[in-house]
Amino acid sequence: MKWIPKFNSSNSLRVIFVIAVFILLFLSSIGYKHNQDLNESSKLVMHTYEINIQLERLMSAIKDAETGQRGYIITRNDRFLSPYTYSRDKVNTSFITLKKLTADNPKQQENLQKLFKLIIQRFTSFENCLKYSDPKTYDKRKLDNHMFGGRILMENIRFKVDEMNDIEKKYLQRRLKIYDQEISLSPVFSISLFLAALTFILLAYRQISNDIKRLIVINKKLLISSRLMSESEVIGKFSTWQWDLDSNAIDHSDNQYRMLGLRPRQFALDKDSFLHFVHPDDKENVSNAITNMGIKKTLPFVYYKLILPNNKLRYFKSTGKLLTDQHGSKILLGINFDITDEHLLNIELQERNKELEKSNQELASFNHVASHDLQEPLRKIQTFISRVSDADKAALSQSAKDYLDKIEVSAKRMRVLIDDLLLFSRTNTTKKEFLKSNLNDLLENAKGELTEVIDEKKAIITAGKLPKLDVIPYQIEQLFINLIGNSLKYSQENINPEITIECEKIHSYEYPDLLEQNIKKFYKITFTDNGMGFDPQFKETIFILFQRLHSKTDYPGTGIGLAICKKIVDNHRGHIIADSVPNQGSKFTVFLPE
Amino acid sequence: MQKNALHILLADDDEDDRLFFNDAFEEVRVQTNVTFVHDGLQLMEHLLTPDVKLPDILFLDLNMPKKTGKECLIEIKKTEHLKNIIIAIYSTSSSEEDIEDTFIEGANIYIKKPSDFNTLKKIINEVVTLNWHYHTSGLNRDNFLLRLK
Repeated sequence: MKWIPKFNSSNSLRVIFVIAVFILLFLSSIGYKHNQDLNESSKLVMHTYEINIQLERLMSAIKDAETGQRGYIITRNDRFLSPYTYSRDKVNTSFITLKKLTADNPKQQENLQKLFKLIIQRFTSFENCLKYSDPKTYDKRKLDNHMFGGRILMENIRFKVDEMNDIEKKYLQRRLKIYDQEISLSPVFSISLFLAALTFILLAYRQISNDIKRLIVINKKLLISSRLMSESEVIGKFSTWQWDLDSNAIDHSDNQYRMLGLRPRQFALDKDSFLHFVHPDDKENVSNAITNMGIKKTLPFVYYKLILPNNKLRYFKSTGKLLTDQHGSKILLGINFDITDEHLLNIELQERNKELEKSNQELASFNHVASHDLQEPLRKIQTFISRVSDADKAALSQSAKDYLDKIEVSAKRMRVLIDDLLLFSRTNTTKKEFLKSNLNDLLENAKGELTEVIDEKKAIITAGKLPKLDVIPYQIEQLFINLIGNSLKYSQENINPEITIECEKIHSYEYPDLLEQNIKKFYKITFTDNGMGFDPQFKETIFILFQRLHSKTDYPGTGIGLAICKKIVDNHRGHIIADSVPNQGSKFTVFLPE
Repeated sequence: MQKNALHILLADDDEDDRLFFNDAFEEVRVQTNVTFVHDGLQLMEHLLTPDVKLPDILFLDLNMPKKTGKECLIEIKKTEHLKNIIIAIYSTSSSEEDIEDTFIEGANIYIKKPSDFNTLKKIINEVVTLNWHYHTSGLNRDNFLLRLK
């Protein structure tokens, strides 16, 4: 039973998500590394430019000193000497900064030391130039020498600064090259990875939205069916419960509470609180049934009474069945039926049955009265009449003799009536033993019973082959006697009676009257005669008890014969119909189940 | 009482029937002694009286007060020295049930009380002249109920 819809996509969705997350994690780590590298290289560039700037500052400070000194020597104005004075401090500041900047590079440190020496020498040369240009100590040759020496020193310094700048530039280029090599992923690859991740996520999104659509549809169906279930529970007077064997929790449907006379979910209904409602007579039984259900995992029908809070008695029936869902958890599903109405109806039916049995017994005792007590006085009347001898009759007046004859005729008629009535009631009350019988034999017996009349009327009876059927033999024989006897009795004057008996197998759907019996195949036996027939408007009434179409003086009879036929056919769950064309003949059709 | 005469016992509570029966026997040309009892109790008392002459044929009505014919039949068939008495059921009833029951309990013949005196005479003639040995040995459900030819 597929009662939880499967979502296969949930697993693939997970895979897609995990892949996408990994790709994104990878991409972000690469991005982080990129960022770090960029930071690093920009720091390097900054570092190189800073050194460059400091070196240039150093240079410009020395140049400032040189220019100031020159101005002083030419003009002898002290104002030109101030750049020279500050330049020393500037040089020192730059030098300290440079020393810090090149702390990690021993080669540059060494170059810096050399540069420093050159600068010190340069400043010494400045001092000497100032000294020999002073008019007090003026010495043209020495001044020229120092001026020239300063010139060379200046070039050396410039050379050294350029060398240092070159080293830094080369260093920077080398480092940048290394970084470039280290950044292994090309932007195209990163973008394609990103696009792949994006695709995965979009796929997942599509899957999710599809699943949601399906979920909505299924949810709607579930809602409808759960609504239908709860409505049908109310209409059908039943409730359902689920017993989760793993968690041992029982969940009752709303209608269970209603059937117990409570509000839905008034409190959590469990075994004990349910047993509280069970009638004391049934408590043990129900409790055992619940315990056994837990062990045997099934609940055969259990019947019990409940006492509702309003003290009304209700009759219940329960059953349960084990269900294992796709996750392997075991749930016992159960149904409780409120069968009070059926139960009460059953009781009523039982009472009716008892009444019927009683009236049947009364009928049987009536049968006894008819068979014995009514017959006895009649028999005596007839016997006493027969005791009046011819000699006695001769002594009577003519009218007395007539009266005596009439008494005799009436007594005879009463005898026939009682006998027929008895026969009629016996077709219903005596034992109905069905035996496999050959209907041809029964027909022969019937003909045997009627030999006298057949011979007297010179009747011709032609019968086709009849089947073997499960019947009450003496009743079918009686049926044949009555039907043939009927044809013989109502024959036309001066015409020899001809009776044709035919038989064929038919399906019930060919005759709508037969459909009620819920039997498919029947034997249709027809009795056709060439008698006087009857008005077809009476074709149904002739089967009713005591219904006669002729006066009893013309045709003696009791109106019971065909009623007996109908009763016999009914006993066999068959059907009998009659039809006729007046003065041409009648046709009786008997349907007997196969 | 005539010697060698057939000894007949009729158990019937109905006075008229006893009268018809007696008259019929008088008109039958067979030598018979007919004794009457009025109910089942009287019948059993009579049969169990010491040294009583047992009847050759017992005509037994079924519907009798105090003790029914069927009860008497069962008792007689249970009693060792009575069980060989030929019993002809003589009843108004012709119900299948009565015929079946008495056949099973061992009655020898079933006679439906006729409604004509001449028929009664014929029946009595038939019964008293019947070869009982032959009839009893070939007894079956079909010839149990007496039918006049």
